[in-house]
Amino acid sequence: MFWHNYKYALKTLVKNKSLVFWTLAFPFILAIFFNLAFSRLHDYDVFEPFDIAVVRDDAYRKETVFAEAFGSLTRGDERLFKAKFSTRDEAEKLLSEEKVEGIVYVEDGQAHVKIKKNGTNQTVLKMATEQVAQSAGMINDIAAAEAERSGGAMNQFEIYAKAVEIVQNAEPKIEDDSHVMNVVSIEFFTLIAMACMQGAMLSTEMLNRCLPNLSHRGKRVAIAPTKKSRVILSNTLAGYTVLLVSVILLILFMRFVLGVDFGTHTWLIMALAAVGSLTATMMGMLLAVAFKMNDNAKQVVVLSVTMVGCLFAGMFGGMKIIFDEACPWMNKINPVGLITDGFYSLLYYEDATRFIVNVVSLLVIAAVFFVLSVRSLRRARYDSI
Amino acid sequence: MTVSRAFWKIALKNIGTIILYTGLLIMFGTMNMSSGASTTQFEATKPTVVVFNHDKEAGVTKGLIEYLDKNAEIAKDYADDDRLKDALFYERVMLVLDIPEEYHQEFALGHEPELKMRSSSGYSAELAKVIVRRYLSAAKAYTSLGLNDEELRAKVEESLGNEIVVETASAADTSKYTVATRYFSFANYSILACVITIICLIMMSFNRLEVRKRNLVSSIEISKMNRVLLRNCCIYSLAVWLFFVAISFFVVGFDVMWGIHGLLYATNALIFSGCATTVAFLVSHFVNSQGAVSGMMNVIALGSSFLCGAFVPAEYLPDAVLAFAHIMPSYYFIDGSNKIMALEDYSFNSLLPVFVNMGIVLAFAIAFALITNYVSKKKQKIA
Repeated sequence: MFWHNYKYALKTLVKNKSLVFWTLAFPFILAIFFNLAFSRLHDYDVFEPFDIAVVRDDAYRKETVFAEAFGSLTRGDERLFKAKFSTRDEAEKLLSEEKVEGIVYVEDGQAHVKIKKNGTNQTVLKMATEQVAQSAGMINDIAAAEAERSGGAMNQFEIYAKAVEIVQNAEPKIEDDSHVMNVVSIEFFTLIAMACMQGAMLSTEMLNRCLPNLSHRGKRVAIAPTKKSRVILSNTLAGYTVLLVSVILLILFMRFVLGVDFGTHTWLIMALAAVGSLTATMMGMLLAVAFKMNDNAKQVVVLSVTMVGCLFAGMFGGMKIIFDEACPWMNKINPVGLITDGFYSLLYYEDATRFIVNVVSLLVIAAVFFVLSVRSLRRARYDSI
Repeated sequence: MTVSRAFWKIALKNIGTIILYTGLLIMFGTMNMSSGASTTQFEATKPTVVVFNHDKEAGVTKGLIEYLDKNAEIAKDYADDDRLKDALFYERVMLVLDIPEEYHQEFALGHEPELKMRSSSGYSAELAKVIVRRYLSAAKAYTSLGLNDEELRAKVEESLGNEIVVETASAADTSKYTVATRYFSFANYSILACVITIICLIMMSFNRLEVRKRNLVSSIEISKMNRVLLRNCCIYSLAVWLFFVAISFFVVGFDVMWGIHGLLYATNALIFSGCATTVAFLVSHFVNSQGAVSGMMNVIALGSSFLCGAFVPAEYLPDAVLAFAHIMPSYYFIDGSNKIMALEDYSFNSLLPVFVNMGIVLAFAIAFALITNYVSKKKQKIA
C-alpha cells in the first residue's frame, strides 16, 4: 500500500504545472539568466589593452628614457595600451569623443595624464605612467651614481645601459600562493539552495491533500482503512523524490551545460543536495500541519522564507560576508545559507570540517521540523458535523 | 462605475505584490547609496591589504608598510584564518602579505629574502600586487648605491613620491547621478513586476469565460467596458510610476531629483511604465491562472532585467547578450538612464540620444498595443 500511494502521489505531483514550474523550470530559467548576466563579471578581471592617446611632441621626444620605456608598454603581445600617437589637439578631440580612455603628455619634463572620468582603466593608466616615470627617475639616479663611482672609466652609453639593467633586474622574490577564485559561483550555489527550499511547496501540497481539515481528498483519506502515518510518509517521500531529482538535474545542468565549478567531490555535492532537500521537505511538512492557512498563503510563506534566506546567503550581490560579519549566527540557522556555505566549503576548503558542520546543522534543523510536525499530527481528532 | 469598482477591488486585493516589489526597489536603491567616484578629480582605487609582519619595523620592512598605508587600506582584524579566507574569496581583502623574520636585514645584505602573498581574484588584487612589487623593486634597485637603511628608505620614498599630474577633462560632476541611475535601472524590474502582475490578474478575472459571457449579455457596451478597463489600467500604471518617483526623492535625494536630470529620469520611467502597461495587456491574453501570471511575470521581468543591465551594469554583460537585449524595450529604458547620467549640459545635441531612446520605448509600446489589438480581435469569438 505504501508504494501504491507513493506512485500515485508522484503522478499527482508531476502533473501539477504550477509546482513543476516553481520547483523545476524556474531555477533552470534563473540559472540561464545568471550565466548570461554574470559570465563576463569574472572574465572582466582579465586585463585587455585599451585605447589611449600619447602626445608625441618635442617635450615627449626630449625625455628619451621615459619615451622609450612608455613606448614598450604599447608594443607586443603583452602590451597594456593601444596607443594613438598624435598632436595635443588631436588627442584632446579623441578624449572628448571618448574614443580613448586618457591622454599621456610631457610638459616641463614631467609626465601628465588627462582623463575624462574615473574608472579601472584610468587607474591603470595613471599607475603605469607613474611607474614608467619613476623607473626613468631611478635610472637617472643610478646612472648619476655610477658615473661618479666609475670616475670616467665608462662612457655615458655604458653607464645608462648598466643603470637600465639594474632597474630591470630589480625584481623582488615573492612566493605567490593565490588561488583562482570566482565569487560569482556563490550566486549559483544560492540558486541551488533556493531550488531546494522552494521545494518545500511540494511536501506542503502533498500534506494538504492528506489532512481532512485542508482538502476534500484529505477527508476521504481520513475515513479510508489505511494507516495515516503510512499515507503521510508515502506522500512526503514522493515530494522529497521529485525535489531531489529536480535539484540533482539542476546541479548537472549547471555543471555540464553552464560550466559552473563545483570542485571534485561529486558524492559530497549529491549528499548536500539530498540533505538540503530533506530540510526543505520537513519545512514544508511543518508548514502544512502547523499553520492553518490556505494553499496560496502557504506558497507565499515558502517563497518569502526562501527569498529572505537567499538575501542573507548572498544571492543579491555578495551580501553573505556582510551579514556574516555583522550577525554571525544568522547564516548558522538559515538553511539557504547553510546549503550555500556547504557548496562553498567543498570548493574552497581542503578540510571537510566546515562542510560537516553545515550538513549536521541542516540535519538538526530537519529533525526539529520533523518533531514539531509529528507533535502537531499525533492524536489529531476532528469534530463530527 | 461597476467596472471601475471591480477593477480597483481586485487591485487592492493584490496590494501585497506592490509592497513586495516596492520593498525590493527601496532595498536595492539604498544598497547602492554610496555614489560613484567624482568625475572632476582623479581618485585612485585603494585595495584592502592584510599584513602579517614577523619582522621588526625597520629598514625596507618599515618603508613597505608605510608605503602600503599610503596607497592601500591596511585591515587589522583578520587574525582568524577562516575569516581571512572568506574575506579573500568575497574580495573584502585583496592581498595578504606575510613578512618573514629578519626580512629587512636580509634585504639590506642583498640576500634576496622571500615574501609570501595570497590574493583574491580580480583587478584590485592585481593592483595591490603592483603596489608591493613597485616598492620592493625600487628598494632593490637602490641597494646598488650602497645606502644604509635610513638613506635607502628616504631614497625610495623620494623616488616613488614623484607622482604624475592627473587632470580631468570633465566640466560637470556627473558621478552624483550614479545612485539615481542604479535606482531607475532597477525600477525596470519593479515596474514590470507591479504592472504585469496586477493588470494580468485583473484582466484575467474579466476574461474568465463565465464572466465574459455575463458581460457580453449585460447592458454595458463591450467597447465602453474595454475603454473603462484601459483607462483604469493606465491610471494604475500612472500611480505605480508616481509612487516610485516619489520614493526616488528619498532614496536618491532631493538635490538630484529636483532638477532637469530628475525630470528626465522621471519622464524616461513614465514612458517605460506606459510600455509595461501594453506588455501587460498583451500577456493577459495568454494567461488563465494566477500561477501562469506569476510565471510569465517572473520570466519577463527577471529576463529583461538580467539581460538588459538592470541588475548587472551593461558594461559587464557579454556582447552577444547586449546585442540580443536590443530587441527589448528595457534595454532602451536602462540605456536611457545611463545616457541621462552622462549628460554634462542640456543642449539639444546632448539631449538627442536620450530622446531617441525614449522614442524607441514609445515605438515598442505602440507595437505591443497593435499586437494586443490583433490578438484581442482574434479571441473575441466565443463558441
